[in-house]
Amino acid sequence: MRKKLSKVIAMILAIATAASVTAGCSKSDTGNAPAASEATTSEDSNITTKDGFFYSKEPVTFSMLFSDNSAYPYKDSWEFFKILQEKTNVKLDLTIVPMSDYNSKRSVLIASGQAPEIIPKTYPGSEDQYVTSGQILPISDYVNEMPNYSKEVKEWNLADDLKTIMQADGKYYVLPELHESFVQDYSLCVRTDILKKNNIKMPETWDEFESMLKQLKTLYPDVTPFSDRWQFGATMQIAGPAFVKTPTGLKGTDADWSGSPLYYNKDKDNFDFYPTMQEYKTELAYFNKLVKEGLMDKESATQTSDQAINKFVTGKSFVISCNAQQLKDYRKKMAANLGEGNFEVEKLNILSGPAGKNISGNRLENGILITQKAKEDKNFKTLLKFVDWLYYSYEGQEFCKWGVEGTHFTKDGNNYKLNDSYTLPDYGLNPDAKNAKDFRKDLGFASGVFILSYGGPNTLAYSYMADEDKKFSENVSKTCTLLPNAPKIAYDEDTKESQNMLESTLKDYMNQMSYKFILGQADLDKDWDSYVKTFDSKGATKYLETANAAYQEQKNK
Amino acid sequence: MIIKSKGYKTFRVINVFIMLLVIVITLFPVLNILAKSFSDLKNLTQNTVSIIPKGFNVDTYKTIMGDMDFWNDYKNTVIYTVLGTIISLVMTTMFAYALSVPRLMGKKFLTAFVVFTMFFNGGIIPNYMIVNGLHMRNTVWAIVVPGAISTFNLIVMRTFFEGIPKELEEAASIDGMNTYGILMRIIIPLSKPIIATMVLFYAVGMWNSWFSAFLYLDHTELLPVTIYLRNLIAGAMSATGADADSLGTVSVNIKYVTIVLTSVPILCVYPFLQKYFVQGVMIGSVKG
Repeated sequence: MRKKLSKVIAMILAIATAASVTAGCSKSDTGNAPAASEATTSEDSNITTKDGFFYSKEPVTFSMLFSDNSAYPYKDSWEFFKILQEKTNVKLDLTIVPMSDYNSKRSVLIASGQAPEIIPKTYPGSEDQYVTSGQILPISDYVNEMPNYSKEVKEWNLADDLKTIMQADGKYYVLPELHESFVQDYSLCVRTDILKKNNIKMPETWDEFESMLKQLKTLYPDVTPFSDRWQFGATMQIAGPAFVKTPTGLKGTDADWSGSPLYYNKDKDNFDFYPTMQEYKTELAYFNKLVKEGLMDKESATQTSDQAINKFVTGKSFVISCNAQQLKDYRKKMAANLGEGNFEVEKLNILSGPAGKNISGNRLENGILITQKAKEDKNFKTLLKFVDWLYYSYEGQEFCKWGVEGTHFTKDGNNYKLNDSYTLPDYGLNPDAKNAKDFRKDLGFASGVFILSYGGPNTLAYSYMADEDKKFSENVSKTCTLLPNAPKIAYDEDTKESQNMLESTLKDYMNQMSYKFILGQADLDKDWDSYVKTFDSKGATKYLETANAAYQEQKNK
Repeated sequence: MIIKSKGYKTFRVINVFIMLLVIVITLFPVLNILAKSFSDLKNLTQNTVSIIPKGFNVDTYKTIMGDMDFWNDYKNTVIYTVLGTIISLVMTTMFAYALSVPRLMGKKFLTAFVVFTMFFNGGIIPNYMIVNGLHMRNTVWAIVVPGAISTFNLIVMRTFFEGIPKELEEAASIDGMNTYGILMRIIIPLSKPIIATMVLFYAVGMWNSWFSAFLYLDHTELLPVTIYLRNLIAGAMSATGADADSLGTVSVNIKYVTIVLTSVPILCVYPFLQKYFVQGVMIGSVKG
């Protein structure tokens, strides 16, 4: 009797829970269809331009998610939003989310149907999970409403890049922010003062890199010249294009640098599985040699980034991987340890290998999702035009980066100058100005929600770069070839799940064995064959065949 | 009469030795973090700091404490903790007492109802929709109400109440006291140890919590200090060039400083509660 009672209760509760869940889902589906046709006529006349700014004749309010960066925490008093509203007649109603938990909150809001109309800062790939929910608009259907975006895509030849974000239905759901030129940020950096002192040339190839390390080792026998951070994952990623023509990052404990184990062969227009390719073996053999000869620290694979940095900044190693921001950080720490003026560090150019001098990357960046709610808004068209203007027109991007000409900056040709009463030390603009207002913290400009620091049109991208970074970046673009992007294979729902599971098994094995081969715990001559065989038994062949079949089918559609 | 045998003496020596060892093991990480939070860049990168600060510096403290948002969020945390603990304590005590009374009608059902939540729950999104539907989003109630009763604490408390001799309640009721009188004048005064424990559990839990705040609060001025610091660390640790922080040297020991800033106040609560952890209040209350 009692048991029955508790069963009944359990049933009731289960049903109640299920009902509340489904109720929430169905609610969002109502009112999809109408709106568009009625709104068009009156809306078109609503949008004009005024002083180079987008202008809505009727005052409108759009809701938007805002990622709050701790380096410049959101303030109600920010001038940025005030000026934006004055100039465009658009008010943004913000939901402020700390950046540490931005992605989780975005998921909750979308799943519960409470998401704002505009959701920026969504990295391509992370929108996949929302596609089936129906809460996010397939934005590719609306790009004809966005002249600035379409213009950039066309003029910068981004059609191939956009293939990397297409879903199975041939549409894309995230409106990516765009780069005119690809900007390489990560590279290796080296103590140039040591090189100069000993008359060693800056290497341009991986072979020259090896001989540089050898010379350093001879001169400083106590030092292991190359001790890497990020568990060597980033270096493998950078080296991949030179050996295998695809990034071959590894997954470390700090961060995951690994990508898809598939190599896109542009000539044949199909995919290969790179971990078993001969080229990858060559790459592993190269780094294994560095370890064997004592040129590369064995701990590179296991130490934390902090430990690696500490070795570098105290002069116990001479080479480490970096990006522009981290390089500044190393310099600061070296000044504290070695003393100002006792060191010089510079980024190495991307090194070339057997496959050439290549870089790999995508010119699409984190972008904007537009939710179903926006479509129900009677000012939907105004919203699209506003987003298009703010993120993709030159004027809009200039405003977000530099503010209003005259008030905040002056321009001489392509050279921008921030007025003396403002400072933006993060990008080296008026860093020492006295009594100046922080352009980012105090005024709200240059916020990562609205700009790509090194993206957009070249002029604006370079306007934020320090001379050193500009030089590096221009040198990379001049000397290296950007590899073609692998198109996205959009599997159907079931295949996607099984492919993902297979992929993670295969990647785990690849990761584990790659470290073993590099560190010499496995022998490249003896163990390679059994390594290739193990991949087969783990389903690598099936994985590759499924991928190629799905890709062919997708192409024929 | 105390007999000091040889065996007892050896026991004392070994006991003291082991206890000292335990103290050293537990105290070392605390002192290490404290020392690192006061050390400078050079010594931190060389990793030479153990329990004494080297190259004394308080830049990180200054940066964090100079920010008005930090104090505002700290104030929020205090409010949420105090209010949340009071609400949780009242609700849990009342429910636990009711469940501990044998003659309660539907006791089995209520217990099953409670225990059910330990194994199943609606998940984040339904919870979010309920809170949203009740218009509690962006109010203090979203933080203190939904998790007011912790099932685990409730069961601990019920078990404690069940351990109080029934004869005391019977005596009180013969003297003409009603249920509320018994709860207020007999049970609660006898339950100081468990109440002190609950205060500690709830207060520490509330002090450290950030998830419900992250979920239900959309304005920076409402957030507790945990989220402020969490975001600060995320900013300082991020490796991406585009959004990297301008905190500079601060980022090196920010982890240690935040640990110190958030744990010290709640650590101070312990000594005040300790005196309630007394056993044996009820010894000899029931005779014959």
